[in-house]
Amino acid sequence: MKTLYVRLFQNYWSPFLVMALAGLLSALYFGITGTVWAVTGEFTRLAGHAMALFGADVSSWSYFKLIGMKGTTFTRTDGWIVWGMFAGALIMVLLNNNFKIRAPRQKRRWAQGFAGGIVAGFGARLALGCNLAAFFTGVPQFSLHAWIFMVATAGGTFLGAKLVAAAWWKGKPVVTKGAIARKAAKPSSVQPVLGAIAAVAYAGLVAYLFASGHRMLGVAALFGALFGILIERGQICFTSAFRDLWISGRATMTKAIIVGMAVSSIATLAVILINGMEPITKIAALSTLVGGLLFGIGIVMAGGCETGMMYRLMEGQIVFLPVFLGNVIGAGALAYAWDHMGIYDTLVKSGSKINLIDKLGAGGALAATLIVLALGFAFAAYWQKHYRFKDGFKKGESAHGAKTTAVR
Amino acid sequence: MAQKQPPSVDFTLDVRGESCPYPVIYTLETLAQLQKGQLLQVVADCPASLRNVPEEVVKHGYVLEREPEKDGRELYFYIRA
Repeated sequence: MKTLYVRLFQNYWSPFLVMALAGLLSALYFGITGTVWAVTGEFTRLAGHAMALFGADVSSWSYFKLIGMKGTTFTRTDGWIVWGMFAGALIMVLLNNNFKIRAPRQKRRWAQGFAGGIVAGFGARLALGCNLAAFFTGVPQFSLHAWIFMVATAGGTFLGAKLVAAAWWKGKPVVTKGAIARKAAKPSSVQPVLGAIAAVAYAGLVAYLFASGHRMLGVAALFGALFGILIERGQICFTSAFRDLWISGRATMTKAIIVGMAVSSIATLAVILINGMEPITKIAALSTLVGGLLFGIGIVMAGGCETGMMYRLMEGQIVFLPVFLGNVIGAGALAYAWDHMGIYDTLVKSGSKINLIDKLGAGGALAATLIVLALGFAFAAYWQKHYRFKDGFKKGESAHGAKTTAVR
Repeated sequence: MAQKQPPSVDFTLDVRGESCPYPVIYTLETLAQLQKGQLLQVVADCPASLRNVPEEVVKHGYVLEREPEKDGRELYFYIRA
């Protein structure tokens, strides 16, 4: 019992296993609700509610017509996904007795997080999705926009990595001579108890949603919590999946996410074919490219994307509070700029919804997706082997250039 | 939790409160400035550091002197330059 507890709640789970599970669950969630695992659409609606509170008539804004603005966050499945993720992550952090207010020593991180959050929120919504709907759950829908977004995000994170490595941005660490004394006090075990209570309470809430006839909300609340549990337990970080490639050549997260997308692509196609569903396709346009680029820069500035910041915040990394706020503000700003500042006309209008299934057939779409994912995996593994912090790519610059273009 | 310290910690890098990627960046930068054989103690509390700091120092040719240690909610790494 004790060892099971340690294994489940005190040790982190393999990110590969976690992403494969998340891929399966997101396909299942799509099969049940017809929507995908996503968060930033709801962030935008939150911004919309906030702006409405201050008297803006957002009902006439076309962006809100596009994403739908009905009800409140607690009557929408997208809302319950978000709150469920927070709840699931928090329960896990508490069970692990690992909540701690973690305040950055570098005060500049607050401003960096806020600024990054705004840029990432704006970029994600410009592209009509963040690392989930335009990436992790977008690729398995065979929507071309997700591929454009991913490549653009890779580029954006590269620029972001250059920025955060600058001396004025990262700041100086505290290095002292000799060892420092440890605080020997063992933390009390009140957190796991609170975690267990919260888990039971949340399960009750999900049961209530089902019992009161709100089946889809119940499904969303349940899946949201499961996604939150998974990303916290696997310490899944989409930001690091890209950024760490450019900083120190770490590809663990990159590879895990690719595996998850491959699993999810197969499962989602099965769901599409068995249920006779239409895949969710979003507009691929210049906005996808620009949005992905901004998103990539923003998440590196902020140190986390719209998903990662959720469990980080629950761990007590309070620097992600301004990131969250920034995400919502950025998303709201985009919703305003969409028609008020001509973003739709200049960047989106010329685009079109392209789905690989329509172009290549179901089998072709899956094959193409898996092949490109496999190439991406191979690139990540190769990069990890040869890229080093400060020294960059060791094994001949030409090889690196060729490889990069091959994958993009 | 009174673990004994390794005999000769030369320097300590305290990155408590810092989130990714700064623990990894700071650690690799500090290690690069040490002389070969010196021992660096890194104290972190970013949960992701439990994985990414050891992975990256080993990949960059440094030696993890002992397994990462969890002391309450803090993480201790001992890395030989």
